[in-house]
Amino acid sequence: MSHAEQSRPAILMAEGGAPAVRPRWRLAPMTAARIALIPAAVITIVCFYAFIVWTFVISLTRSRLLPVYDFVGFDQYRRLFASARWWTAMENLAIHGTLFIAGCTVAGYALAIMIDRGVRAEGFFRTVFMLPLSMSFIVTGLIWQWMLNPVFGIQDAVRDLGWEGFVFNWIVQPDRAIYTLAIAGIWQQVGLCMALFLAGLRGVDPNVWKAARIDGIPTWRVYTDIVTPMLRPVFFTVFVLLSALVMKSFDLVVALTGGGPGFASDLPARFVVDHILNRQELGLGAAGAFMMLCTVVAVIGPYLYREIHKSRGAR
Amino acid sequence: MRVSMLMTGFGAGLAVAVAAGLAAPAATAQTAEVLHWWTSGGESAALGEVRSAFTARGGTWNDTPIAGGANARAAAVNRMIGNDAPAIFQFSVGEQLKELAAQGFVGDVQQVAAAGNWDAVLPPLIARIAKEDGKYIAAPLNIHGENWMFYNTAVLEKAGVAVPKTWPEFLEAAGRLKAAGVTPIALGGQPWQERVLFNTVLLGVGGREHYARVYGDLDKAAMNSDAMLEAFSTFAALRGFVDEGSPGRRWNEATAMLMRGDAAFQFTGDWAKGELVAAGIEPGTTVGCMLAPAKDAAYIMAVDAFSFGATSDPQVKAAQKLMAEVIMDPQVQIAFNRRKGSIPVRTDVTDPGFDSCAKLAIATIKDPATHLVSTGLFGVSSAVSGAIDDAISQFWNSPSMTPEQGRSLFVQTVEDAR
Repeated sequence: MSHAEQSRPAILMAEGGAPAVRPRWRLAPMTAARIALIPAAVITIVCFYAFIVWTFVISLTRSRLLPVYDFVGFDQYRRLFASARWWTAMENLAIHGTLFIAGCTVAGYALAIMIDRGVRAEGFFRTVFMLPLSMSFIVTGLIWQWMLNPVFGIQDAVRDLGWEGFVFNWIVQPDRAIYTLAIAGIWQQVGLCMALFLAGLRGVDPNVWKAARIDGIPTWRVYTDIVTPMLRPVFFTVFVLLSALVMKSFDLVVALTGGGPGFASDLPARFVVDHILNRQELGLGAAGAFMMLCTVVAVIGPYLYREIHKSRGAR
Repeated sequence: MRVSMLMTGFGAGLAVAVAAGLAAPAATAQTAEVLHWWTSGGESAALGEVRSAFTARGGTWNDTPIAGGANARAAAVNRMIGNDAPAIFQFSVGEQLKELAAQGFVGDVQQVAAAGNWDAVLPPLIARIAKEDGKYIAAPLNIHGENWMFYNTAVLEKAGVAVPKTWPEFLEAAGRLKAAGVTPIALGGQPWQERVLFNTVLLGVGGREHYARVYGDLDKAAMNSDAMLEAFSTFAALRGFVDEGSPGRRWNEATAMLMRGDAAFQFTGDWAKGELVAAGIEPGTTVGCMLAPAKDAAYIMAVDAFSFGATSDPQVKAAQKLMAEVIMDPQVQIAFNRRKGSIPVRTDVTDPGFDSCAKLAIATIKDPATHLVSTGLFGVSSAVSGAIDDAISQFWNSPSMTPEQGRSLFVQTVEDAR
């Protein structure tokens, strides 16, 4: 009914949809499992797929404040594609998504390797990197909003130190504000990636390292050529988790920039929520939500398909 | 929860009945859930005045506060669709409420309105907008004005600048203030605040007839006129008088800049007075107020109102009726509005206790020709008003956009959204 369910199915389908349809119905011992799965299947079908269908149906109607079943074809999509704000939001999603996923993965992996190499006070660093994760995106957004504020944030602090000409006002620059989202997002999520990678690194068989040492392979080569390929499933997990976060990025942008200046740092999720709840454009919002789903399917679908087939083949 | 409340109500009713020695029908508690978005200190204190009057007359008030007007409106609509409409809910009068009423989700209070002769005491514009199908579907509580100009008197004096009467005068004064190292305009850079500023300029430059043609009729010729171009060029000229920290700033932070003397002017609604009072400043002294420079006197009005969920429960109906009476009670309106910063919606209420700004507002709206609508509220649908906010905000935040481009963006945006 609300925006939340409309953006959620997209992600949940990508994450959990595949295992749910895999049971082998022909096997008799599976009967118990089959019965046990019924509630989950019903919930999945009703709450996710039914709502996806409903969202799509609504997007074909003239609905404004209330759902009305007065079909107008793809008129809402035409309006959506004519909207400058929607394209800004999609472009921002691409920029933010790329930077956020790449940044989190690279930085998280680097930190994990650093800790894995036996940094002193490992527990301390682990805690430091994990701490931002305990905060909500709203809090993260507010903290970074203050730090990035040109009047009393980092810019002002550096100027007070004597660098009068220092400029760091991205958050108020319409063409830069979107990058501040990635900064704050990476800051918060890098700990999670680090933890996942660290777990992966710790799971690498010590014999691999011993063998590499005997063969005289330099450490960095072990990482690039042996360990990293071994961590493929971890990278996959990190990618899916981060993609889900990107698609539903809503609270961070609301708290950090409010989509501004103007709508320069708007994201599709905020566009949808704004149109459904504040503007009473239920049909237009539903069209936006459905396009978000299509984006997810287009981006994650092939990757998901490939990974699942690969892991099956390996087994 | 609900049972225990009923029991308490029943117990209280019984106690009163026994004490009075009669089966008092009026003493049965008129319990009503009240959904609203007035959660900040000043707002909640103001609403407290309505609440105590309601309780004093035998009502039981079940408070459901939801922070944020948009959230509260969405919650009310969702509950109505789910067939669990709140008995009394805060709402903005306008197209959205009319649509809900047309779908049968909103009850009317025509009986109370007829008895209280609302038609005679309400400004005609508000009376019209609070009705659907000839019946009152909302009880309006107050009028906020959006075209105010607040200024720091000490800062103006120091810079030797007089309070400007026209926009060219303002631009000249702003230039001098900037040269003196003061931020001329404290602006909260959020789309709705930028729209308030633009509408103020539009009214000031184009005059009230032009304003009414643009927003009242969405008249394409008016939108394409020279007056519109002039409004956009004046608006564009203001870009240079806002400080770097403006984007994303909240309106009350901007008011704080004004109070501290960091900025000279703020163009916003009279809700800013609530902040002044909370900071111990009497509106009209350290921080002065004037209607923003304009060709002719006009007041861009925003109205807060309460509406009533459709119900067949006689007890809830009685509570709704009571609430409608309480809201339109002159004494309640005085007490409420002195705390809220707005003015009573009843034109027949005056009070020596109002501050000088409120008195100016009351004097201004004596002439119905001054009454204009805020695009944030009524006159245009929320789809159009949202699109207008987008267009204005895009123009404001793109310094390379020329006034001509701004005007055509505006026309195109309205055309697409209507």
